[in-house]
Amino acid sequence: MRRFGRWRRKYSYFLFLLPALILIVFLTVYPLARVFYLSFYRYNPIRRVERFVGFANYLRLFSDRFFLTGLKNTFLFSVGATVTEVLLGLGLALMFNVKFRGRKLFLPLVIFPMMFSTMVICAIWRSMYHYDYGIFNYALRSLGFEPVKWLINKDLALWSVVLVDIWQWTPMAFLILLAGLQSIPGELYEAARVDGATGTRLFRHITLPLLRNHIFLALLLRSIDTFKIFDKVYALTGGGPGTATETISFYIYRQGFTYFNMGRASAAAVVMFLAVSAVSLIYIRQVWRGEE
Amino acid sequence: MSPWKALKITKHILFWCLLLLIMAVVLFPIYWMLVTSVKEPLEYATRNPSWFPHRITFEHYREIWKEGAYRYFLNTVFVAFGSTLLSLGVAFPAAYGLARFRFPAKLDLIFLLWVLLVRMAPPVVLAIPLYTTLQSFGLLNKLTGLVIAYQIYTLPYSIWMLLRFVRDVPIEVEEAAAIDGASRLRTLTAIVFPLVGPGLVATAIFSVIMTWNEFIYALLFLRRPEVFTLPIHIAHFITEYEVLWGPLMAIGIMSSLPILILSGYVQRHLLRGFAISFK
Repeated sequence: MRRFGRWRRKYSYFLFLLPALILIVFLTVYPLARVFYLSFYRYNPIRRVERFVGFANYLRLFSDRFFLTGLKNTFLFSVGATVTEVLLGLGLALMFNVKFRGRKLFLPLVIFPMMFSTMVICAIWRSMYHYDYGIFNYALRSLGFEPVKWLINKDLALWSVVLVDIWQWTPMAFLILLAGLQSIPGELYEAARVDGATGTRLFRHITLPLLRNHIFLALLLRSIDTFKIFDKVYALTGGGPGTATETISFYIYRQGFTYFNMGRASAAAVVMFLAVSAVSLIYIRQVWRGEE
Repeated sequence: MSPWKALKITKHILFWCLLLLIMAVVLFPIYWMLVTSVKEPLEYATRNPSWFPHRITFEHYREIWKEGAYRYFLNTVFVAFGSTLLSLGVAFPAAYGLARFRFPAKLDLIFLLWVLLVRMAPPVVLAIPLYTTLQSFGLLNKLTGLVIAYQIYTLPYSIWMLLRFVRDVPIEVEEAAAIDGASRLRTLTAIVFPLVGPGLVATAIFSVIMTWNEFIYALLFLRRPEVFTLPIHIAHFITEYEVLWGPLMAIGIMSSLPILILSGYVQRHLLRGFAISFK
């Protein structure tokens, strides 16, 4: 009993962490292990099939046209959206780093879009993109242009979805970069101006180098986020036309929850998890350094 | 006028033109939702939609109310507040433990980084095993099941947010309380808790926003209309009816209002709140 008492005093702080630890293990460690396990099985809960197949799911994956298209589209979406969002965000942050009248009023308005539910945003944009009744095509027609098949043209649909993401999430890049700009001490600029530097040179030799970490962070967080793209595809195009907007998340969703090919879906999930983790680890390493 | 001053004025005008253009692009879709929700169908389901509504009607709002949209509202409120409360209840002691004690073998750091990794992992990856787990506990199509599944988002998030807020509490305050003979638990509830209060509120608000808007788990784990949350209801609306935009936009506005009001309170914390969060 006495020994137990001492042990309790020494390790009782574990109790603070215990509930969180249990929940996290139950909700993440176990499911991840299970997904990994299932990826080696042919598993269909509806038809009650569960058979070990080794690496067959993975091999099938890389000859599956839908998966490969999904991979390509996810990559295009992620790069297109991330780069544009960070560039636009940088431009916006530079504008808002200057003091002007009404700045405090405009700032919350600029970040408005990211407060809305993605489904609400999809509802709005889908109505605006509509071929016959949409406001975009109405505007184009009244200006004498041909209407555009925003979500129906297979070469354009993916970029129409990218545009919605840019509208929604540029504010996020903007906030990160604005914080970065405001952490640069003003004396640096004054000193450089005394030395005769102006406009673009100030930007290239002071702003950009000192903003590097924030730009990197914005690129990292946005690329991780866009890589998971699912909801916009679901609500705007349903993966179509054809496979034009098929993405990896959407592929996993359909394999797993429409065809109940859970083994194949799990294999795709493992591949996706590893890809995202590889990028996340860059961020996590930075956090690790900061914590230590 | 000196050329220098002329240049300055031109720059000033250009700046404002650009700013107004940006504001127009940012706000137009929201304006469009607002006006569509009060237009009559003749004014939006047409090849020539009107830029301004000629006649304002609240018919669509009446309609969605009559058709029982409040039910999706209540479901969403339950899920958002339920998962937030559960998360805070579990995350606050965890954040305190992680901030104040050194765990053996860097367990604390490993836990924190694991949680961060999970936070960034695609939700669809965990969906398959979670589906079968919820099923075996009889929690599929149950709001409680969704509350538990949402801990994957809200718990890592709350732990990290609260960790930073707890660290901001000077340890001297606690030491003073300990010298006065207060127990750990008492220090925690009577001293630390109130000091972290504003941080708890901010974390709670972000967590509510996050779960209020969540889509994919709600889509996968709630298959019966009576348990739908607002995003799922909206998604069905979008995909099932081609141009029933009046009621759709009315629901969109109604479901966004609570979030917009809440977000007003956290302007100050936006960066902290969003940098490690969202979606």
